Amino acid sequence: MEIPQIMHLLQFTDSTFPVGTFSFSNGLETASFEGIVKDASTLEEFTRSQARQAAFSDGVAAIHTHRAMLRHDYEAVKHIDSYLMIFKMNAEARLMLQRMGKKLAELAVRLFDSEIISEWLRDIKEGKTPGSYPVAQGLVFAAAGISERDLFCSHQYGVTNMVLSAALRCVKVSHYDTQIILSRLAGETESLYEEAAAMDLEEMNAFFPQLDILASLHEKGNMRMFMN
Amino acid sequence: MLTTDKKLEKTVAPEVDFSNAREMRRYLEEPKAMYVNAPGKHGYLRLGFELDARGKSILRDLDRRVPLIVQQELYFDEAWPQLPCVYILSSGGPNVDGDRYQQDITVKKDAFAWVSTGVATKLAVMRYNYSGLVQNIVAEENAYLEFMPEPVIPCRHSRFISDTRLCVDKTATVFYSEIFMPGRKYHKEGELFEYDILSVCSHGERPDGQQLFREKFVIDPRLNPPRALGVMGTFDVFANVLVMTPPDKADTIYEKTPAYLDRDNRLAAGITRLPNDAGLLFKALGMEPGPVKKLVREFCSTVRQTVKGIPVPPEFPWR
Repeated sequence: MEIPQIMHLLQFTDSTFPVGTFSFSNGLETASFEGIVKDASTLEEFTRSQARQAAFSDGVAAIHTHRAMLRHDYEAVKHIDSYLMIFKMNAEARLMLQRMGKKLAELAVRLFDSEIISEWLRDIKEGKTPGSYPVAQGLVFAAAGISERDLFCSHQYGVTNMVLSAALRCVKVSHYDTQIILSRLAGETESLYEEAAAMDLEEMNAFFPQLDILASLHEKGNMRMFMN
Repeated sequence: MLTTDKKLEKTVAPEVDFSNAREMRRYLEEPKAMYVNAPGKHGYLRLGFELDARGKSILRDLDRRVPLIVQQELYFDEAWPQLPCVYILSSGGPNVDGDRYQQDITVKKDAFAWVSTGVATKLAVMRYNYSGLVQNIVAEENAYLEFMPEPVIPCRHSRFISDTRLCVDKTATVFYSEIFMPGRKYHKEGELFEYDILSVCSHGERPDGQQLFREKFVIDPRLNPPRALGVMGTFDVFANVLVMTPPDKADTIYEKTPAYLDRDNRLAAGITRLPNDAGLLFKALGMEPGPVKKLVREFCSTVRQTVKGIPVPPEFPWR
């Protein structure tokens, strides 16, 4: 990878990159309140499940968008965008992906001179396409010349780091714990990428009923440290 | 006994094709016993409910191939005596290696129906192939269907794939539930998540072809332990309920249905809204089938009361 690509990769993966990742806890707040996530080992398991869930849905969509962007296939981009939303069964998750997706698209039109990204943002604003975050990531990384493998790593890092950063505020763990977990999960990313990269869009799948119920408790509950 | 006004058009049982399913490609060997698609291993069922001339909801259309059996509709729901109720039976007992089934259920305009299975669906031990099920559930304008089968029990080394298409008019309601056991929990030393694979896909659409949602889960216990926190955790039984219903009904059901985690009884339930205003998704986790079935039934009662103003009566004591 060349230096400009490395710098872009760091920029887009940074947790202060202004797309609003800091505002969401992915159900961790509820899991912590209910005593399901209570220490470093339960936090690691919870975060691993989040990473797997993201890899085989959002991760697959991001990879397919990256490929569509490289072949300048805007119709495919729109198809992936609506297909991902049909697959996202959790209302809060759909809201989160759309908020972040639009923010990234608004930023991306200022960073890249790309007809597809401009058209996509226009279509989001006109309600013609949902504007999901993984699709935005696929477009932006391709525009920056970053490979789909590196996009996937950045995507997975974003998910795990979002959960672990939130954990510092609502679980009894130290920053040593969260960094060790982050490193350990990073080591598992290669096999996730190999699996996700081989998947067709129709093969996206998710079986995380406990996460789904926690998300529902959060959606219906009264605790509001994080956005919903 | 079939009544004479039933339209019995025999059709060739459609091919049940899962050749595109990558997750099943490991399990394509021809069974050494009866081959795939052999008579008795290729079941077909077609149920068509509609209003008769007097406005009574009846099972007008029925076609079946062994081992799937439906005899006739019964009217045993004490709270709703006009509701035609059908039990799907299988003469073969469990689903065995290489079984293929298709079930097509249509509820025509303004009609209503209740469909379940007579007993739990046991997936027997499989060595060569897998068991596959295709379902097409169609609900026309203002139709109402409760599909509430008994649990699926995947035994050690069983493999199962299903594809369920729910084609539902925007004025109709379909309650579609599935309950999955971890295996034969009390068989010998206990059998928890020892099956090879469960691949379950349900997708909703409108009659004009608009795709509304698609839920797919693939559980391969050797690759991804179901015991992981976030997956099943310490729970054993999982229920998944899709409710396709108009948005105003969905709002009421959503408000009436609590999400909770009950530590004392080891039960958890959650609800969320499906994409594209298609309705609701309810999930429940528990330790035993009884309490989970009760939760699903209570949720069904909320749906029925909201849509039809009628509760679901308590389950028969022998079920």
